[in-house]
Amino acid sequence: MSLNRRDFLKVGAGTSGGLMLSLSLFGCAGIATGYKPETGEWKPDAWLELTDNGDIYFTLARVEMGQGTYTGLTTLIAEELEVAPDAITPRFAPVASEYQNPLYKLQATGGSTSVATSWEPLRVAGASARQLLVDAGARVWRVDPARCSASNGRVIHPNGIDSMEYRQLVELASRETLRDDVALKPRSQWKYIGKQNGRLDARAKSTGTAVYGIDVELPDMVYAVVTRSPRYGGKLRSFNADQVRAMSDVLDVFEIERGVAVVASRYWSARKAQNALKVEWDFTDALAVSNAEVFASYREAADRDPGDSERSEGDFGDAVESGATLVQAEYAQPYLAHSTMEPMNATAWCREDSAEIWVPTQAPDLARIAVARVTDLSPGDVTIHTTFLGGGFGRRLSQDYVEEAAAVSWRMQRPVKLIWSREEDTRHDLYRPAMLHRMKATMDQGEVTGWQHQIVGPKILTWFVRNAAPAQYPWAPKFLYDTLGKVGLMAEGIATPKDMSAIEGAIDYPYQVDNIDIRHTHTDPGVPVTWWRSVGYSHNGFAVETFMDELAHQAGEDPYQFRRKLLADQPRHREVLDRAATLADWNSPAPAGRARGIAVFQSFGTYVAQVVEAGIENGSIRVYKVSAVVDCGQVVNPRIVEDQIEGGILFGLTAALYGEITFENGAVRQSNFHDYLLLRQHERPEITVEIVDSQASPTGVGEPGVPPVLPALGNALFALTGKRQRSLPLKADA
Amino acid sequence: MTLSLTVNGELRSLDVDGDTPLLWVIRDELGLKGTKFGCGAGLCGACTVHLNGQPIRSCSTPVELVDGGEVTTIEGLGHEENLHALQRAWIEQGVPQCGYCQSGQIMTAAHLLATNPAPDRDQIIAAMTGNLCRCGTYSRIVAAVESVVATGASKHNEGA
Repeated sequence: MSLNRRDFLKVGAGTSGGLMLSLSLFGCAGIATGYKPETGEWKPDAWLELTDNGDIYFTLARVEMGQGTYTGLTTLIAEELEVAPDAITPRFAPVASEYQNPLYKLQATGGSTSVATSWEPLRVAGASARQLLVDAGARVWRVDPARCSASNGRVIHPNGIDSMEYRQLVELASRETLRDDVALKPRSQWKYIGKQNGRLDARAKSTGTAVYGIDVELPDMVYAVVTRSPRYGGKLRSFNADQVRAMSDVLDVFEIERGVAVVASRYWSARKAQNALKVEWDFTDALAVSNAEVFASYREAADRDPGDSERSEGDFGDAVESGATLVQAEYAQPYLAHSTMEPMNATAWCREDSAEIWVPTQAPDLARIAVARVTDLSPGDVTIHTTFLGGGFGRRLSQDYVEEAAAVSWRMQRPVKLIWSREEDTRHDLYRPAMLHRMKATMDQGEVTGWQHQIVGPKILTWFVRNAAPAQYPWAPKFLYDTLGKVGLMAEGIATPKDMSAIEGAIDYPYQVDNIDIRHTHTDPGVPVTWWRSVGYSHNGFAVETFMDELAHQAGEDPYQFRRKLLADQPRHREVLDRAATLADWNSPAPAGRARGIAVFQSFGTYVAQVVEAGIENGSIRVYKVSAVVDCGQVVNPRIVEDQIEGGILFGLTAALYGEITFENGAVRQSNFHDYLLLRQHERPEITVEIVDSQASPTGVGEPGVPPVLPALGNALFALTGKRQRSLPLKADA
Repeated sequence: MTLSLTVNGELRSLDVDGDTPLLWVIRDELGLKGTKFGCGAGLCGACTVHLNGQPIRSCSTPVELVDGGEVTTIEGLGHEENLHALQRAWIEQGVPQCGYCQSGQIMTAAHLLATNPAPDRDQIIAAMTGNLCRCGTYSRIVAAVESVVATGASKHNEGA
């Protein structure tokens, strides 16, 4: 990435007379819209402000959901500004008209992109601010700025003795001119990047003072709960409004688009009233599927339609014709819920001509569209205040809960806090799609000569475009929203980005095979779906790396050596694979009753190899050890990288061991943590994470820990039992 | 009904429905938002507080059952100038990711150390297994508790 400073950085006086740099960073690659940069009006999405009190604020249009963005991005600025990271106070940017990102016109955090896209611009911003301060100091002293330096929040005189604090210089610095030739510090001089820095949000989150969406309090605020159709798409027929309205503390009961809202002056009163609510639904157009029907429809679609070709090299048909051995397998993965620890919630205050929303969201721009959709307001009338997120994992890219809160507040014309129960959160999620994979490979004397991967399932864009398309055209009248959504779908790959959610991790198959054929058969059973930590990689990783294991056994080779041989042209894959094998002592036998499995996978530009050591104890799968090696380019904060990879492994193990949302006649069976299990402390394996020392541009770490652990565990169980499991979750008695 | 609670050392009188879970009384009537709602069924531990020194799931404890009791929440565990040893360890170890479950984790750990100032790793894991964390901070949690045990600070810092 090469940056022209003028394209993204401007300087001016701060609101309190200090120094203010405004920045225009980049959109989120995972959900970038491909919209071309507009010329003209300056609309930044991040601000660095130094006040004459000595405070330094970094206001950013990215959300913190646990992935460490808050800390990582601040560290980049601090390094070049020559201050300690904890001298900078990060703040979330509210989203109102003036905050709209001019490059992609979409504010969203996802796709493990925050550090990757901000790596260079934030360091340039920090260095530019430092240079302005140095130039101002040099002007005061009447010396050559090139002979001055900066350190620990001070500009140093050429004599090395005299110095001035930044706060003394901020006002003068705001009148200096930004330079184009500001040099970034060489790696050898970094004080904070790549070092073990604490998390800036740790204190607030250890003392109960961090404010999440659910903690927002407004004067005169009331509480809402919503009863939704148990089957997606059910229409409201009738409900016992009068009886419920008469209950204690209840203010109103009314229909909104997604169900029946109960509003009360206390949360518990709203819940009790909801329990007394009797709703009749019309299920004529409602979802009616069961899991078995979903997979039957996938198989039927796969038989009928070979799908769109997404990557083709050589001729897989020729490889089959050549008389090689054909190996085939079918993999199936279920719907998965996000289960953020903080259930969906939003606090809305709609007035006649404007609205403010306080919400833990991954996509504030889309939240504005959601509010406009259910009120008479335009997106420009809506201000979104983003709070800390009690987990995101992709769930909070969808704005259904914002829509509900806004609809209720619009009707009440007062502040309303909407809180979902855990049961509602589990049953009205948008899920990681269930997917089917048909794998074929040809083998000739132990060599893989052909690889065919047919992916069968929906596209996430179908479900997301409804609000995402209008978000790109905020001037569009609301009656066009649905049209924009449809146009967005038709223009996929042209005006809107190609949806990679079904195929990512499959089309980038890394092994050296002559004939490759990757296809997607698109079929959508009508279950709402969305991004889920590691998205397409989460299901393609399991299919690709399990089938590779099958081929290794077919060839009679060691699964590690088999992969290694086919990765001769992929040095970064190969390095993490080799190091993971060493870390796990792959060549020595596993302890009695245990076996090891291996997998290597690249996602979001980050390379991760994992070795899982597992066994079966008292009829349950037991994971003893996970050895992981990660190459994510230059590391900004090693501890956060370790934590994210480890967190990804536990997230993946939860899916591998327990994850399954079951539809029965269109309704979700699971409801709370007793039947939708999350991995607990005592089930945690011993996890070792090793980070490759790299100078390549940094890549994301929030998601890439997830994909390899599912196949690595499955492969370990195969090594243990000799039985291959091709569907998830994995079973002890398969 | 009218009832009274001593919350973080302060006597509070309340007029709420007796079946209201203690969690919502703490959060909405008393304005202490550090204790979190996670499941409403005592399954995840995000709502853990101490009642008369014992850890309880406030989301599924009707307030009428704790009338007259002494409640300690995360806000009462330490003070801004004098944090509980566990809170200091949580910060030093950088335990929280999203952070939502951590109040409950810390309250559970505080009770463990109040009753057993020198737990071994297995005892820590057994004590902490009722508290879910979706981000996967489990190993940092154990390391943070162990660091407090190692310094002996747990012997001087009563949990509640």
